[in-house]
Amino acid sequence: MSLLEVDGIEVRYGAIKALKGVSFEVNEGEIVALLGANGAGKTTTQKTVSGMLRPSLGEIRYDGKRIDGTPAHELISLGICHVPEGRHVFPRMTVNENLEMGAFRFKRPDDKLQAHVLDLFPRLRERIKQQAGTLSGGEQQMLAIGRALMGKPRLLLLDEPSMGLAPLIVKQIFDIVREINNDGVTVLLVEQNASQALALANRGYVLETGEIVLTGTGRELLADDRVRAAYLGEEIAS
Amino acid sequence: MKTGFFSSPHVKRLAGCMALAFVLALMIGNQEGSQDDYGLAFRQAIFSPRIILFIAIGLLVFAAMTFWPYITPYLLRPGVRPLAVGGITVLVSQTLLKWSDDGRTGNGKFNSVASKAANTDGLAPMAKLFFSNYLGWILLLVTFGLGAAAILLSLRALAWVAAVLGVVGGIWAYTSQAAVRDFLGTPDHSTGGGVALIGYLTLAAAALATALATGDIADTRAFVNRLLAWRPGMPLVVLGLIVGVIAFVQATWFSPQGSNQTLTDTKNFFQGNGLANLAYQYLAWLGYVLFIATLLTAAAASYLRHKILGWVAAGLGTVALLLSLITMYDMTDLAAAAGVDGATGPWQNLGSGAWMACAAFFVLAGAGLVVATLGGRDEQDESAPAEAPAARSSDTLSRGFSAPGSSKVFLFVILATALFYPPTATGFWQKVLVSEIGIYVLLAIGLNVVVGWAGLLDLGFIAFYAIGSYTTAYLTGALPYKPPSFLHLSPLLAIPFAIAICLLAGVALGAPTLRLRGDYLAIVTLGFGEIIRITANNNPGNITNGPKGAFGIPHPRIELGPIKFVWGQNNLQYWYLLLVLIVIVVLLFRRLEASRLGRAWAAIREDEVAAQATGINTTRVKLLAFAIGASTSGVAGVFFASQIGYINPENFVLNNSILVVAYVVFGGMGSLPGAMAGAAVLTWLPEFLKDQVPAEDRQMWIGAVVLLMMIFRPAGLIPAKRRAAELRGLNRSSSAEVGAVPEGEGMGARA
Ligand SMILES: Nc1ncnc2c1ncn2[C@@H]1O[C@H](COP(=O)(O)OP(=O)(O)OP(=O)(O)O)[C@@H](O)[C@H]1O
Ligand SMILES: [Mg+2]
Repeated sequence: MSLLEVDGIEVRYGAIKALKGVSFEVNEGEIVALLGANGAGKTTTQKTVSGMLRPSLGEIRYDGKRIDGTPAHELISLGICHVPEGRHVFPRMTVNENLEMGAFRFKRPDDKLQAHVLDLFPRLRERIKQQAGTLSGGEQQMLAIGRALMGKPRLLLLDEPSMGLAPLIVKQIFDIVREINNDGVTVLLVEQNASQALALANRGYVLETGEIVLTGTGRELLADDRVRAAYLGEEIAS
Repeated sequence: MKTGFFSSPHVKRLAGCMALAFVLALMIGNQEGSQDDYGLAFRQAIFSPRIILFIAIGLLVFAAMTFWPYITPYLLRPGVRPLAVGGITVLVSQTLLKWSDDGRTGNGKFNSVASKAANTDGLAPMAKLFFSNYLGWILLLVTFGLGAAAILLSLRALAWVAAVLGVVGGIWAYTSQAAVRDFLGTPDHSTGGGVALIGYLTLAAAALATALATGDIADTRAFVNRLLAWRPGMPLVVLGLIVGVIAFVQATWFSPQGSNQTLTDTKNFFQGNGLANLAYQYLAWLGYVLFIATLLTAAAASYLRHKILGWVAAGLGTVALLLSLITMYDMTDLAAAAGVDGATGPWQNLGSGAWMACAAFFVLAGAGLVVATLGGRDEQDESAPAEAPAARSSDTLSRGFSAPGSSKVFLFVILATALFYPPTATGFWQKVLVSEIGIYVLLAIGLNVVVGWAGLLDLGFIAFYAIGSYTTAYLTGALPYKPPSFLHLSPLLAIPFAIAICLLAGVALGAPTLRLRGDYLAIVTLGFGEIIRITANNNPGNITNGPKGAFGIPHPRIELGPIKFVWGQNNLQYWYLLLVLIVIVVLLFRRLEASRLGRAWAAIREDEVAAQATGINTTRVKLLAFAIGASTSGVAGVFFASQIGYINPENFVLNNSILVVAYVVFGGMGSLPGAMAGAAVLTWLPEFLKDQVPAEDRQMWIGAVVLLMMIFRPAGLIPAKRRAAELRGLNRSSSAEVGAVPEGEGMGARA
């Protein structure tokens, strides 16, 4: 059975319909990539899954139970952790405090887990007492992911973790995502960086103006002409 | 070419400085013309030497601005700030403050007192010397100049000289004022000498830090830290020693009919008058013995860091304090029974000495406690990362002075002042203390939750104060509609109801405004405040009694079997009630700040999206901030209504809301001690300035203080840790990054 089932959800911002019946599923232990042009509705989809938005139609099932309309802070205790778009760290808290905030749903932060997270991101360990606002963009992104891990996610929602980062850092981050996945965390990844995301992902979905237009395994999508044309800037060889 | 010259920044700046100097020169002195010479004031300003002075100051400011980058490295030297503060303090004492309240000394300012004192026969020769030949000014200049030279050039020998001069100057100034006061023999509350003493001691401390510097750098703060860390509790012992010696040797214990009786005089006064034996023995010898015993134990405990001795000192101090109070009660009760000086009950006609003795015992007991509760070695590392985020106190007071137990030292000094200073203050200051300082401190504590901790700008805070007051009025039957008889309550019992209603009102305000932040929220809350006031004014359904307001609200009383407190007209009684309320609220809020809720507030203030993503129920947390802040305000409202006895809508105008916000910002947003200090200072200042400066100028001076504060200490008096970081330019470096700046704080809301 799949961990997350999204079934025909429609999301509106006032009169604008941002999602027009999106359906997909994420199986336990998978990495699933969600691709699409700017404004296609990827962020909207993730926010709806994490409980920050409420669909006007359709259902979301997590672990077999309906969760659409459940607020974000309740979904976190089910293990759905969200790393929102644009590195939202707490700028005037230290790295350490940020990580501890990530464990807010528990009475006390888990020291072992924190040590593990710092093993994943050695750069954060070096800067453990630095104010998060003074970290570089890549470090902030690492911190945002690390903070989400402190909440012991079962399903991790990552929204454009590579945004604005140097290729080397992007690669590091993607490696870490794979490692996280190897630890048994299911990942729903939103990305612009199609080639790397698809290389990493088991499966992928392509969104276009609020609708899923294409789906397949990572490899299939990488090979797909339309994807290559839209995201990798290649001419369609016709 | 032409435009090039006039748009040069130097020319503009010079023109600006000159224009400002000119305007300032016009503002000082006579502002009116005469019947036949309308331009008199103008001409006086132009032709008198003072315009040259002002132009010179303008040029100086221009030079300082132009060469600022070259000057700053010097200004950033450690020790320069305390030096400047000390110099300015002495300067203020000698220009603004009064040195005598006696009419014979002219306007009572330093120069006028000095010119009179220098020509007075019979004045103590040292005081006479101090006031003659501008010696007071020369001393200030020399001390400051030597201190500055020593600090800037790192000259130790010079620093020693400056430090000694500072101490001598301070004591000399203080004793000279005291000599003048004794000579004139009239009641006197002028502060010039005391403030000068503080200023000189600050100068001396700055110099001493240089003199004793271990490395090349003389950091005054580190120096004070070392002083505090040398023997925990020792500062309290020293303070206790000074205050106690003054109390037992020199100060007035009993002052019927304006006669000042020291402790021995008081003993003689009561001899054979049937004073309870214990009290008599206290006056005769027990007091001295207790003082010396407590002092020695506390000193030994502190010096040896001996915990058991510390407990002994704390116990001794407490017993001695109780005995002092019992003695004070017995003797004043007896005096009142005998009708001495029209006393109507106990605690009247007491001099400051008795209270100083109490304060001395209190701080000595405090010193004992500091030593007794001193942790092992591990407590000294206060920055251990084991604590939860934001769990440690957010103020920099204890962080700046990180010596073990130093925050407790501050605490005991403040408590001793709060407990034992008010009885010795004049009636005027007691009133100010209750109806201005105390109330606004409580309000600032409440608003700090909303503005400082949760980051929600609330400009309608006074509305909850109004709701608390009107709730009290209703429950005590002071409004047209009477409550059902079983609800007819004494004011203190109204507190839980006021809290409950304000909680609800807080939620009612919070719920519709949840999506708003920053300026938008401020406008809506402002509207809320006005709605409450206007509703009270318009009196719908004759609930609030309109502009007439509610009167006849009874004073609080507690009657629990044998325990009986009845509050009346005496402000002191209210002060102690208020102190209890403030202490309870502070204790609760300290826990709150370190709790999960406190962390959640910190998180939504920093970044709401991230807070949501870490599983914080932002709706609930924000509503709680409003509700908890509101309920504090409600408690203040209950107190206010029952103290003053009548309320009307005019007590709850918008201006008061804005003032509370200003107090919190001035003190340091998000820092509990800061908010309290801000409210205390800014409510005290206008009252203090009342007899120091002309009434028309008062607002200007307050404005100047606030302005200087915002320039030199923008994070507030006692800044919260995070705010301080924000203002150190953290934002500047991070704002280029996406989302690194919390959304919706002030300007950010629209960006
Ligand atoms: N709060 C909002 N109010 C109105 N419209 C919105 C809002 N948020 C998103 N939209 C619109 O919904 C559509 C989908 O937005 P979404 O943020 O999901 O795009 P996205 O796929 O994440 O794009 P990108 O790759 O640029 O991040 C866009 O057209 C956007 O303008
Ligand atoms: Mg997006």
